[in-house]
Amino acid sequence: MKILYVEDNEDNIYMLRSRLTRAGFTVVIATDGAQGVALAASEKPDLVLMDLGLPVLDGWEAARRIKAAPETSGIPIIALSAHAMPGDAEKALAAGCDDFDTKPVEMPRLLEKIRALKPESGAS
Amino acid sequence: MSSEDAALLIVDDVEDNRFALSRRLARLGYLNVTTAGDGRQALELVKSKPFDLVLLDIMMPHVNGYEVLAQMKADESLRHIPVIMISAVDEIDSVVRCIELGAEDYLAKPFNPTLLRARVGACLERKRLNDELRDRTGELARSVEELRALGEVSQAVNSTLDVESVLSTIVAKAVQLSNTHGGVIYVFNEQDQNFRVRATYGLSEELIAAVKTQQVGFSDAIRQATEDGQPHQFADIEEEPASAVREISIRAGFRARLVVPLNSTDRVIGALVIRRKQPGKFPNHTIELLQTFAAQSVLAIQNARLFREIDQKSRELEIASKHKSQFLANMSHELRTPLNAILGYTELILDNIYGDTPEKMRGVLQRIEGNGKHLLGLINDVLDLSKIEAGQLTLSMTDYSLKQVVHTVYSAVEPLAAQKKLQFKVEVAPDLPAGHGDEHRLTQVLLNLVGNAIKFTDSGEVLIKAAADDDTFSVAVHDTGPGISAADQAKLFQEFQQADNSVTRKKGGTGLGLAISKRIIEMHGGKIWVESAPGQGSTFRFTLPVTVVQQHADRASHSPPTVPSSSA
Repeated sequence: MKILYVEDNEDNIYMLRSRLTRAGFTVVIATDGAQGVALAASEKPDLVLMDLGLPVLDGWEAARRIKAAPETSGIPIIALSAHAMPGDAEKALAAGCDDFDTKPVEMPRLLEKIRALKPESGAS
Repeated sequence: MSSEDAALLIVDDVEDNRFALSRRLARLGYLNVTTAGDGRQALELVKSKPFDLVLLDIMMPHVNGYEVLAQMKADESLRHIPVIMISAVDEIDSVVRCIELGAEDYLAKPFNPTLLRARVGACLERKRLNDELRDRTGELARSVEELRALGEVSQAVNSTLDVESVLSTIVAKAVQLSNTHGGVIYVFNEQDQNFRVRATYGLSEELIAAVKTQQVGFSDAIRQATEDGQPHQFADIEEEPASAVREISIRAGFRARLVVPLNSTDRVIGALVIRRKQPGKFPNHTIELLQTFAAQSVLAIQNARLFREIDQKSRELEIASKHKSQFLANMSHELRTPLNAILGYTELILDNIYGDTPEKMRGVLQRIEGNGKHLLGLINDVLDLSKIEAGQLTLSMTDYSLKQVVHTVYSAVEPLAAQKKLQFKVEVAPDLPAGHGDEHRLTQVLLNLVGNAIKFTDSGEVLIKAAADDDTFSVAVHDTGPGISAADQAKLFQEFQQADNSVTRKKGGTGLGLAISKRIIEMHGGKIWVESAPGQGSTFRFTLPVTVVQQHADRASHSPPTVPSSSA
């Protein structure tokens, strides 16, 4: 199962990629929102993990564009945010994200959310 | 009124009769006696000057006594003057007619001196009493009217902060009650250091325009009044020096003017000016009344000024408070990002992602992880409190199971209790109803209470009890720790307070946990408190509605009452 992880913080990329890889996922990385939208179309991932505070195009707008394009609209998106301000989750869901999780990521919780959206392709 | 002062009028067509009666009355001590030779003259006299008693002959040519009597009693302004009818014949029909027409008494000629004295004396005494009653009634009515007007004015002062409308009410009432014809309230303007017209009543457009453009510095009266703080009056403005305002005032028919300063505690902040169409001095009563109105005006002006200042200050305060909260929120976010990386990498190493980690290194890494998580907890506490203070913490309401909350907390801290060899027990009442509230935040509260209990208890037990009573959950966390003195209990739920500052160093913690817990429970509409005594252990209890319908306003948030809160 292929996951597109859109994130600009190198530490977060390194850590989450290590864990997801270890858990058996194929991980593709985009480091800004625009690249995320492009890779969603070209890589056809099974799921997108979308950070919200991103350069070029923020996570909300990137999610909106992925959900607006017919060839990528079916890809589930989980928003990830360490944002301290309230309303982030609501805004993400309004932008078309299917679920929301807070950083720091807790692997069991994240895996459960991934499984809930993609029950047929559990990490092997 | 002595008998010499009483003004008497004798009406008789026969001169000898008039003379005889005058002499008799003079002998009785009535010296102020006027005479009239016919009815027409009598009517002219009573209309032109006040009389206390009329002695009226019935039989007169042209206008007879009955007609004079009838006209006097039909006239509102003459009705109160008593009339004694005088007749040559003492017959019952005549007496009846006089009484029907409203005569006070009846005398037959020739006069019996004793009877004359008694009847005149009694009539004058009745008149005196009636006059007194009329005066008192008038005074009373005026007082009632003044009180009512003052009541309306003070209600206006208290019910609206719109100075213009209050001052307009005041100047209108002042003019109406003082029986004058026009008025202006001037208020000192700090910016241009001049008196400005703020309200007028009864003035023509032309006069309003003139008083508005007039430099008040040029008006001696107002300047004088505002310098010495005393009322000043001008009995006739025609004697004042010429000015545009004076000419227009005279043209508008105004003659007398009264200036009453608006005195605040330390200076004069304006003036109430009243204009009257008749020249002459203003009665003391009017001046006193207008001083009361001036005092009310000062209150209105000061209330409005204070309100403006408070409003301004609270806006500034709200903005400062928002900045502070935003800063804390941003700051804790910035602090958490690198900390999360430290914790993340530590976990990766402990997960053996980079090969098997030697046991010795594992111990050190666990210490790094433990301290890092503690630091993260502290940062989260500061963030929570800043969110609560900014009014940004919103509860996310869901159905939850209190039993599940208790068990989540139990499993989370059970290892800590085991480590300290404490007995850790749970007593959950059977059949607890399903709750509705913020499960995550309630778990946070219970975790805080139980965490504290374990932290501060070195031996014995920690017990969690949960029960429901009608529509209220009650939860208690009991420990056999050192206990808390009454003085310390009072400070416990305030920010940055622990019972003893030395414990902070020994046991850790921000001292924010209980403050946050209190706010969260109150936002659920519940209560939290402690029962404890030194050496007796402590029991922290909280109660909250089983079903929380609506988030309760946080009492400690800084939204000022007048500004609509912009809650997120």
